[in-house]
Amino acid sequence: MELFSPDFGLIFWMFLTVLLLVVLLGKFAWPFIVKTLEERADLIDKGVEYAQDAKEQLENAQKEAAKYVTEAQKQQAEILREAAKMKTQIIEEAKEAAAVEAKKVMDAAKLSIEQARKESEMQFRSEVSQFALQIAEKVVRKDLADDKSQAELVDKLLNEVETKN
Amino acid sequence: MKKVLSILLTLMMALSVAPFAAQASDHSSGVEDPKGIIFEHLGDTYGWAAPFSHSTYIPLPIIVRDCNGDWHVFSSARVEHGATYDGFKISSEGEYKGKLVGTDANGAEYRPLDISITKNVAALFISALVVVLCVMSIYRWYKKNPLKAPRKGTAFLELIVEFVYSSVVRPTLGKNAKKFGPYLLTVFFLILIMNLLGLIVIFPGGANLTGNIAVTLVLALFTFFITNVFGTKHYWKEVFWPDVPLWLKFPLPIMPMIELFGLFTKPAALTIRLFANMMGGHIIVLVLTLLIFIFGAFGAAAMGVTTVVSVAFSLFMLLLDTLVSFIQAFVFTMLSALFISMAQEGHGEEI
Repeated sequence: MELFSPDFGLIFWMFLTVLLLVVLLGKFAWPFIVKTLEERADLIDKGVEYAQDAKEQLENAQKEAAKYVTEAQKQQAEILREAAKMKTQIIEEAKEAAAVEAKKVMDAAKLSIEQARKESEMQFRSEVSQFALQIAEKVVRKDLADDKSQAELVDKLLNEVETKN
Repeated sequence: MKKVLSILLTLMMALSVAPFAAQASDHSSGVEDPKGIIFEHLGDTYGWAAPFSHSTYIPLPIIVRDCNGDWHVFSSARVEHGATYDGFKISSEGEYKGKLVGTDANGAEYRPLDISITKNVAALFISALVVVLCVMSIYRWYKKNPLKAPRKGTAFLELIVEFVYSSVVRPTLGKNAKKFGPYLLTVFFLILIMNLLGLIVIFPGGANLTGNIAVTLVLALFTFFITNVFGTKHYWKEVFWPDVPLWLKFPLPIMPMIELFGLFTKPAALTIRLFANMMGGHIIVLVLTLLIFIFGAFGAAAMGVTTVVSVAFSLFMLLLDTLVSFIQAFVFTMLSALFISMAQEGHGEEI
């Protein structure tokens, strides 16, 4: 039967055609196509890798940023706390200083008041003594209008001095 | 989808029943020689039946060398319908039925050396041309834009190339993929295109190429030669001095005989597998179609029923054959790659 007995003509042409096809395509087309395919596959692989890397880096960066933000927040809180502390301290110190100053002022005032008092006292005293002396002078002048009484007084005074000694 | 399919089926039924019902009344017997018709379709002819006609043939060149060593080239139209030209005619019976025969000086018939461009050879050329066009379309695309994925048809072709190359050639052959890839890809595309063109009923297709043992034999021989020509020392040692107990190979070379036999069973298996698969598909479709005419003898009702069933089954078979076309091309490529890679074994160990 024809189907099972290969025909020479067909074998001949088939051989020629396949040989020609394999040589032509194998020399000019397939290596180029396969090379391009692989290059493109590599490119895509690289692209995917790059994208993954970029994604990872982005995630890292985001993490880093978040870290920085939390750190900054922590620092801010710290600074705020510090500031608050410092504020109270400053206020305290200011209060203390004010108190000290006030005390000083008060003391000075007290001192000056005392001084003034003493001065006025002294003045008063001297004035009083002056007044007393004037009064006494006036009194004495009136009493010692005559010599007798002057002598008497001198006597009396001398007596007094003598008894005192 | 279902609706479209049912409409298509009804249309096909109507189309096929109407003319043949009229015909059936002319020839009450249906077909006289179903076997002859089937083998005529499966076999080779010198002219190519024009679409939708069984009497007109597209003439093809006949190239023969007669018994005196002279070459004759003439159109197949000259020997159509039993005509004799230049002492050659197409034998209608006997050993060379359907083949061109010459008459020698004694008046005896003989078979000249025949390398005519028959229907199969023409179909082979068309297939090869389609393969070249397909490959060129990918090639051109890559030349134009090397790093861009192709679009539309080229993308589909590239998908096939990529599929064959990265799922068969590279995993099987490893670093030899670049060396044998071109052959395997060419063979894959050629078989695929030949299979698919064979499924098309009219002119550019319709030749039962891969269902012809000559075609599959040549393909298998190519694989055979590539396997053995590029075979490594290790491979040949495995054939003639395999790693088995001595008594299996020394006084009586049992294992070497088996191995040597195995060398030839591989291409034989390749030949028969592709041939039988594709021929089987063609035969089933042909038989299903012929059933319509055979049952036509029993009247219009039987014919109608058979038509519906046959057309449905033919459609199914053709769809299946489309799948088989791909699978067989793939299997041939895969087995070729496997055989070649087996002969490349030990290539790495030598270095």
